[in-house]
Amino acid sequence: MTRTVLVALPLVVFAIAGLLAPVLAPVDPTAVDLAASLLPPSADHPLGTDQLGRDQLSRILYGAQISLAVTAAVLTISLTVGVITGTIAGYLGGRADRVISRVVDMAVSLPGMLVALAVIGVRGPGVVNLIIAMSLWAWAPYARIARARVAGLRGSPHLDALRLLGASPARVIGRHLLPPALAPCLVYASTDVGSIVLGVATLSFLGLGIPPPYAEWGQMLIEGRPYLASAWWLAYPPGIAITAVVFASNLLGERLAGDDERPSILRWVRPTARRRLADHVPTAAEGDVVLSVQDLSVGYPQRVVAEVSYEVRRGQVLAIVGESGSGKTTSVLAPFGLLDPSAVATGSATLGSGELMGLTPHERRLVNGRRVGVVFQDSLAVLNPLRTIGAHVDEAVRNAGRGGRRAATRRVTEELLRLVGLPDPAALARQFPHQLSGGMRQRVQIAIALAGEPELLVADEPTSALDVTVQAQLLDLLGRLRDELSMSMIVVSHDLAVVSRLADSVAVMYAGRIVESGPLTTVINDPGHPYTRGLLDAVPLPGAVPGTRFRTMPGRPGAGPDDSSGCAFAPRCPIAVTACTNDRPVLKVLTSAATHRSACSRGGA
Amino acid sequence: MRAPGRPRFAGRRVTRWAVDTVGVLLALTAGTFALVLLARGDPAAILAATRAGRSATPEQVEAVRAELGLDAPALVRYARWLADAVTGDFGLSLRTNTPIGPEIADRMGVTLGLVGGSAVVALAVGLAVGIAGAVLGPGLPRGALRGGALLVTSLPVFWLSYLLVLVLALRLGLVPTSGMAGPATWVMPMAVLGLPAAGALSRVVAVTLREALDRPYVLAAQARGSGWISIVFRDGLPNAAGPILSLSGITVGSLLVGTVVVEQIFGWPGLGDYFVQAAAARDVPALQASALILGGGFILANRLADVLQVLIDPRSRRDGGVPTPWLRKGTA
Repeated sequence: MTRTVLVALPLVVFAIAGLLAPVLAPVDPTAVDLAASLLPPSADHPLGTDQLGRDQLSRILYGAQISLAVTAAVLTISLTVGVITGTIAGYLGGRADRVISRVVDMAVSLPGMLVALAVIGVRGPGVVNLIIAMSLWAWAPYARIARARVAGLRGSPHLDALRLLGASPARVIGRHLLPPALAPCLVYASTDVGSIVLGVATLSFLGLGIPPPYAEWGQMLIEGRPYLASAWWLAYPPGIAITAVVFASNLLGERLAGDDERPSILRWVRPTARRRLADHVPTAAEGDVVLSVQDLSVGYPQRVVAEVSYEVRRGQVLAIVGESGSGKTTSVLAPFGLLDPSAVATGSATLGSGELMGLTPHERRLVNGRRVGVVFQDSLAVLNPLRTIGAHVDEAVRNAGRGGRRAATRRVTEELLRLVGLPDPAALARQFPHQLSGGMRQRVQIAIALAGEPELLVADEPTSALDVTVQAQLLDLLGRLRDELSMSMIVVSHDLAVVSRLADSVAVMYAGRIVESGPLTTVINDPGHPYTRGLLDAVPLPGAVPGTRFRTMPGRPGAGPDDSSGCAFAPRCPIAVTACTNDRPVLKVLTSAATHRSACSRGGA
Repeated sequence: MRAPGRPRFAGRRVTRWAVDTVGVLLALTAGTFALVLLARGDPAAILAATRAGRSATPEQVEAVRAELGLDAPALVRYARWLADAVTGDFGLSLRTNTPIGPEIADRMGVTLGLVGGSAVVALAVGLAVGIAGAVLGPGLPRGALRGGALLVTSLPVFWLSYLLVLVLALRLGLVPTSGMAGPATWVMPMAVLGLPAAGALSRVVAVTLREALDRPYVLAAQARGSGWISIVFRDGLPNAAGPILSLSGITVGSLLVGTVVVEQIFGWPGLGDYFVQAAAARDVPALQASALILGGGFILANRLADVLQVLIDPRSRRDGGVPTPWLRKGTA
């Protein structure tokens, strides 16, 4: 707010100078004194004198007066005509609206400067003609803005009620439609002040605006033109005055319109400090581990994922399950830098033996697309609508260093499309994303992910939003790829049925933490955490008698990992005791299997 | 980009567009012709005086009036004027008593050269600064680019020219102050005309490109290992092309109008200069002719950008969404 006021300051100075010019000006701006011509700034003449010995400061102040007067007149006329025209068009609707809108469209599309010049060209210069010429095009944007606002309001129940109560159209328009239509117009006017001041100065500069002996900023520049090189005080002050007013007006308009300030996903990412955990001890099985994530936290800056650790072994599928908002997707995308730029990720993630956290964008490109492939959830949004399927896959093939000449790259592309079970790859490659079904697009994503022959495939909800048969086909495809290419996978899903068909091990997430992890069969048959048990109970079993009610979990899904000091699941937990809300449980190895862990302080109860 | 359905579909849209454009151009001619009705003073008297070299006698004025057909009703005169204008005949200048058409044809080249050159400056600088604005995170460099862009659009062109003349020509002696003789004289007019347009363009490029780069397909491109250059040029810019194209059209159009000021300052004998001379002398036929050409160019530049926008988006093609040949073959 303070900054907005600061931005508007030159406009305020402009208004005050314009209004109080006769009081503020030290001398008469038209008083010629040839003996005192072209004097540099001094105590008598703070901004010097011009070629006729006129005081520059007084002329600048009177210049503000004339600019302000013309601007005020043009704005008053344009606002009145524009807002009334637009409001009437919006209120009447139908044919009248179409005709008026058409006229407004044309007026808006005309070059304002040209219209003003042409009108002054036939009418001759002068203050009145200048105001007419500038109002002739300045009204149209206001009409457009007001029309849009009123047309939006016309159908509102509030107005219907007013009409039923017998309010006359004049009253409805005057009291209930004009004021809201005026508000956005005033915002636009804040920028328009600049355009009008600039227009007046430009026309005067061309000798077609305000004629001498009036002091006008553009006029002052053209009159002083022959002396500009030697008398800098003639060259700078009028130009600075115009620029300050126009700049402030543009800046104010931009601020009032609320311009977008966010950085894009794609920005030059500064690598964050690398951090390896001191107590990370390599285990015997490490050679077998493809991806190891330790103590991963992600915050914006409030944490959404806290101290998550998981491992993926060669040729194995790890499933991460949990409800929406539990941090599943963030946990699997964070190691590869695929997060919002405002996210802060800490912890460690190693792929093979290389640390992934804190890689530079260039280093990331050697991992993403080559050693890791990613399949996203929304297959329509993640494909560029303006590029063909072939262009997407070609790019992935080239990124992975498997491309060659165009035809060679395309051959690899077609091979990949065939591999994921898409018929007629040559024709498909020429299609655009919107021409494919959801299942086919998902296969295309898998083909893109496979382009680099990756060690690890990350699939984020790969089958959500697809119908059941297509889901089954895709799961079969993923299973086949794992077997044939002995590829490791992470599958993120909220659907335990999906997980149970594919996974070797499972990690269950709740409120940004892993609450249970272990081999699939152990977790399903002998869940250690009450949340996992709840999830399993919520799945309808194929053998169940029709009409059997499956249990759902009461309560609302948990929020962030740091929202409570105890167990995040406690408010919904059927077996919670008072202690659960005080101390946060940690993952403990359960007796059933060495790799089966659960974070419940009530043990295996 | 070469789908078979495009020409037929786009054909319909382009026809509509063409009809619309002709309508707007007709409105422009009507507005331009109406200038005569607004004019102060009798055109016949002015032309007669020009011919006689002094105040004309009433007989001379009547002769000119008959010759120009000024006695006919306004609508008839409009029809005649329009029919002549289409063939490039704009009548006689009141100021010089010479045909306007050839004069405009002569000056057209200068203006088109100036607009073309400054369009290159505007588009190149505007795109580069806009891309930097979208890719850079918040910080000093981005703030400086934004502020600079806004400042350069706020500078009055004539003052910017003076400053450049003072510094580059008079103080440093790098380029001549005015005229158009060789590449050195082209630098200042094109910079002065192109840079403010570049400032406005860069703001729109930055905002729309940032929006296009916020979409999931950018994340997916990063996941498959594409670099930022590829992402900006293959994913970002094409998806931001709509608003950028339409503003580019407006930009080129506004450059055409801007020649009015720049040609004055640097003494280039182009259309803008002709327009100002005609306006200063109240030479209505010349004013009409140049307003028609400049205004028509402005409108065409705007509308061409709109039609290009339709042509580049595959989603707006006729076969969008319907089952495609390979699918029918595949399932058969």
